[in-house]
Amino acid sequence: MSIENLKPYFPWITLAVLVLLVGALNPSFLNPASLVQLVADIVPLFIMALGMTFAIYIGGIDLSMQQVANLVTVVATVYLVQYGIFVAFLCIGAGFVIGAASGWITTRQFVPSFVATLAMGFIALSGARFLSGERALSMNADARDASFGWMFGNTVGIPHELVIAGLLLALAWFLQSRTTFGRALKAVGSGELAAVASGLKVDQIKILAFALSGTFAAIAGLMFSVKLSGGDANLANGFLILAIVAVLVGGTPLTGGVGGVINTLVGTLIVVVIRSAMVYLEVDATMQQMIFGVILIVAIAMTIDRSKMRIVK
Amino acid sequence: MATIQTADKAGTWVGIGRETLVKWAPLLVLIVLCGFFAAIEPRFLSTRNFARILIAASPALMVATGVTFVIIMGSIDLSMEGTVSVCAVSFAFCFLWLGGTLASWAWLALPFAMLVGAALGFVNGLIHVKLKIPSFMASLAMGFVGTGLAMVMTGGDRIRIEDELFRSLLTERVLGFPLMVYVAGVFLLIAWFIQTRTTLGRNFYAVGGGEDLAIASGLNVSRVRVLGYTVAGVFFAVGALLAVGRIGIAETATGNDFMFLSVTAVVVGGTALWGGIGGVWNTLVGVLIVFVIGNGMVVIGLPGYVQDGVLGILVILAVILSTDRKSISFVK
Repeated sequence: MSIENLKPYFPWITLAVLVLLVGALNPSFLNPASLVQLVADIVPLFIMALGMTFAIYIGGIDLSMQQVANLVTVVATVYLVQYGIFVAFLCIGAGFVIGAASGWITTRQFVPSFVATLAMGFIALSGARFLSGERALSMNADARDASFGWMFGNTVGIPHELVIAGLLLALAWFLQSRTTFGRALKAVGSGELAAVASGLKVDQIKILAFALSGTFAAIAGLMFSVKLSGGDANLANGFLILAIVAVLVGGTPLTGGVGGVINTLVGTLIVVVIRSAMVYLEVDATMQQMIFGVILIVAIAMTIDRSKMRIVK
Repeated sequence: MATIQTADKAGTWVGIGRETLVKWAPLLVLIVLCGFFAAIEPRFLSTRNFARILIAASPALMVATGVTFVIIMGSIDLSMEGTVSVCAVSFAFCFLWLGGTLASWAWLALPFAMLVGAALGFVNGLIHVKLKIPSFMASLAMGFVGTGLAMVMTGGDRIRIEDELFRSLLTERVLGFPLMVYVAGVFLLIAWFIQTRTTLGRNFYAVGGGEDLAIASGLNVSRVRVLGYTVAGVFFAVGALLAVGRIGIAETATGNDFMFLSVTAVVVGGTALWGGIGGVWNTLVGVLIVFVIGNGMVVIGLPGYVQDGVLGILVILAVILSTDRKSISFVK
């Protein structure tokens, strides 16, 4: 087997090397129960990264996800008592609409997605601040347990969060690999002009891709809100950059067309292993950010497949 | 029928002046915004208020100017938050160590901070070019390293700079505007000089306009890229110095919020993210648009929670108005 054949597996190899390395330095890291807990804790981040994958897969980016999630935490908290479990539809609908609006602005108004989604994020932030009255709200505990208590249970040792993440991953994978829509996404990401020339409705596909990323952001926000039992216009802050990093480390380049949701799974795990390894290895808190940056450079240098990149921008 | 005729008329009118119109669109947007805010609240037009806008905008202008060069090359630099923090903190330590007042050898801290910025930019460029990591990711990770480094250096503390001579950047006013505004102006002219009057500046456009062509013409694209990031680093450092001059404190958080702000300003000014189009004057207009919107909303008394959303809508409108739709087939 040559290096060429191994290339698609570089992210997996990086992940395995990291886990073994940290495990060798501190064996308690490999304790199955704590590993499961570790993975369960990052489910909202993973869901957000899944959504981000769709935006990046077509060569765009969605910077509104964090604010959409923020907005959703507020919406969920405010309307939970009124609508019960159906508040989920409201949340997901909001995410879909905001994502679709970003997509429309990008494709029909020619505003680069970097700016369009950033600006849509500001609009979502306004909504969150208005709706929350600029306060941190907490959920009605009874209504929360009645409607969403199932999200955080355990079945034979498997946290339900992981089941939800698994189902969403399967759904995203199905969309990406087993539907016409998924193939169209790949076509748009690999070469938009060629996709247009082949008669694909590129605008619709792109708008739908952004709508999907908005939807996933909303689901992440909803889980986050239930988990922390509250809503706040800043609750999900800090997740955006990590979600982008997770997608890119997994091997989906910003130019689009390559990679996909499975890569994002690996990327998210790599990010989480790096982050938690620093806690396990007792790295000084002030040093963590710097070391994270350095390891990130090393990880991405190892994982990205440069063979399909002619020019690196 | 009438509507069709008007549309035709408008079409021809735009047809004649299309290029000119697109070129000046950001400036028109800025003027319209100023006019709008002034109509609602005349105090918007006072020198005091303009000074306020320019004070707030100066550090961001320097950071945005730096990233303009990188964006002209078709790359992106997201390391500014880290670089600004490290430069600010390095400056503060060096300044205090050398005596703590500009009247002594401590003035050396100013060029030192710019060297630090250049070094960080250089490393950033090297990582991007030598390791072939896309600039978005390379510079984002370098930003983490920078923020982390500033955190390690300060241990989370704030460092106060109380030297009156250095603070005169803010306190000393000429014609109603503080010195830092003029400093930013001088560096903007330097940036303009680099952009239009140096080979390096022209090479940025060559790389951004078409990298294949640039390589075919024998241009050492890697070198141009690394130098571009280095120049950007120096401007980030100047931004850091002005930011410290403005609030008198250097800390890890000094660099916060510069990333999205500066890239947004560059795009709003009409510099295209895919490279080759735009320049430092566009960035000046873009930064002013963003800060005029921010200031204007406060002056006319919009409630806080509306302001983010209005900023978002206006930014989208500004980009739509300053984009030449006929010349592009799609955006990413």
